[in-house]
Amino acid sequence: MKIGIISFAHMHANSYASVLKAMEGVTLAGIADDNEERGKQASQLFDTAYFKNYQDLLQTDIDAVIVTSENSFHHQHVVAAAKAGKHVLCEKPLATNLADMEEMITVCEENQVLLGTAFPVRFNTPIQQAKEMIDQGVLGEILAIKGTNRGTNPGGWFIDKAKSGGGAVLDHTVHVVDIIRWFTGAEVNEVYAEIGSVYTNQPIDDCGIITMEFTNGMFATLDCSWSRNRSYPTWGDVTLEIIGTNGTLKVDAFSQKIDLYSDSDGVQWIGWGDDMDAGLIEDFVNSIREGRAPLATGHSGMKAVEVALAAYQSHEKKTPVKLK
Amino acid sequence: MQEILLIGAGTMGMEHAASYYSMEDVHLAGIVDLRKEQAEQIIGQHDTKLFQTLDEAVNTLEHIDVIDICVPTYLHKEYVMKAADYGIHVICEKPLAYTLEDAREMIDYCEAKQVKLFVGHVVRFFPQYAKVHELIANETIGEIGVVRTRRGGEFPAGWSDWYADHTKSGGVILDLMIHDFDYLRWNFGEVDRVFAKGLAERNIEHLDYALVTLVFQSGVIAHVEGTWAHQTFSTQFEFAGKTGIIEYDSLKEEPVLLSMKQSKAKSSGGVAVPQSPLKKTPYTIELEHFLTCLKTNATPIVSAEDAYKAMEISVAALQSLKTGLPVSLGREGGVLL
Repeated sequence: MKIGIISFAHMHANSYASVLKAMEGVTLAGIADDNEERGKQASQLFDTAYFKNYQDLLQTDIDAVIVTSENSFHHQHVVAAAKAGKHVLCEKPLATNLADMEEMITVCEENQVLLGTAFPVRFNTPIQQAKEMIDQGVLGEILAIKGTNRGTNPGGWFIDKAKSGGGAVLDHTVHVVDIIRWFTGAEVNEVYAEIGSVYTNQPIDDCGIITMEFTNGMFATLDCSWSRNRSYPTWGDVTLEIIGTNGTLKVDAFSQKIDLYSDSDGVQWIGWGDDMDAGLIEDFVNSIREGRAPLATGHSGMKAVEVALAAYQSHEKKTPVKLK
Repeated sequence: MQEILLIGAGTMGMEHAASYYSMEDVHLAGIVDLRKEQAEQIIGQHDTKLFQTLDEAVNTLEHIDVIDICVPTYLHKEYVMKAADYGIHVICEKPLAYTLEDAREMIDYCEAKQVKLFVGHVVRFFPQYAKVHELIANETIGEIGVVRTRRGGEFPAGWSDWYADHTKSGGVILDLMIHDFDYLRWNFGEVDRVFAKGLAERNIEHLDYALVTLVFQSGVIAHVEGTWAHQTFSTQFEFAGKTGIIEYDSLKEEPVLLSMKQSKAKSSGGVAVPQSPLKKTPYTIELEHFLTCLKTNATPIVSAEDAYKAMEISVAALQSLKTGLPVSLGREGGVLL
């Protein structure tokens, strides 16, 4: 199977490329990037062809592409890939507005290609174990969930709204919302958000607390802030604490770590847990082989972005926003 | 010698009594409680008299400087008013009352009767919290964007299960999270908006949980978690500033850790009172401070008005929980819009 990558704008492209290189029966067939320096460097590093124009990559005999461009280009790149008959795994957030996401899903369906959203957290082993416990009904009825997905200010195009479509709220709401939907099967029906801009010195949202109500009657909050500073021992976190009638369950996706105290770099947490990106790419490849939907589809990607968009709306109106 | 009369021999009463017994120049003269055995256990060999009622105690004891009220919240008012009638200064456990109307009446009544009213918002006296207050005041971590606090554990086993009656305890939002509301207000000033979700309306037996978002007039966003859904009491906080982060988790603090074979362990019951090994407990520091203020006429670190303001935040949270809408606290403070 031949897979290409469109753009190395998102740093996850490096990790995905490494996984592809290590997979049996899969070839990283080319990298397209309008940033010539970045694209050439990556293609050299991963020993694959470079295309300045992504359309040229799409005209080769590749089976699928991974889209890791800036958020605002996801729509353009996914639609083009689908029209070229290539399966697509798109980096999250799926897109920056509802109309784009709906079109992406429709065009992929029309062209009979699979559309997956890169939600690697679903492939985090502690998260998967928690999912099993929930599926077994250990917690009883789920009443509430407290989530965090904090991070470091990513800088670059992430804090340029024209390219990213939004700051921390768009960037860091989607992972945990996706996990909550996956854990519970419930949909968000109301969103309230308090959003601020403190950490980036840029006119973009970089912190917030989002409160959600779900179709099954539970509520949840999520801290999506880019509030980790430079000296914090890690980039950020993904945590969920689930309150059920029978007990509580705490999941910390990256707590499998050792503490490093370095004279040159201060304190660092070094993770030693399983590589979730490998699971994500393997699932995508297997979904193509087996002709089934990937674990996290385009629809999952859209449902998560809907919540982030509602959060912005709520913040603007200072009132809870209902979702369909 | 300052003479103390303690009302209530429950968990908090026991804690306060131990504090008074550890102080010099302070005499716990009497304890009022109908539960004779429980009160006698607290008194042990100490020179403290046991009474059935407050009136009996006041009529019997020669002199009382302070009446310390450690009864369930819904009984606070009755005892505070009575103490004020006798012209005796009052220390009252938090929350000051169940309703804002009662709290206001109690504050006004004490003022009219010229007795001092201290409210036991003890978190300000926990050394780790006091230290962070200092760090924040010194702008050690720069401008603060998001704050997270957590408090709670097991559902408290109070006298005749009064915590289970929301109309008596106010659940986690009024009884437990008010600690953090007061503490955060101490650090960041007045609250602008409150949005809350919780289980209060669900009436699940011996389970309460709430997540409350506060936005301060300064712009700081705070996420406050209160739980009676867990098995072990703990407190956590995190302040994320522009140039630094402050974190604390009581579960990670293990200065002394005793681990017993399960068959030898005894279950404790009651209300969890978290204690780190310190020469003086936070309750002792707090009560000493109140007694010093009484002697020197100094302004306490936490005033009755602060206690009222903390209640306002709890009441706003309960209102938000009911209406599903954010609740604005008036710019002047004091008026719920």
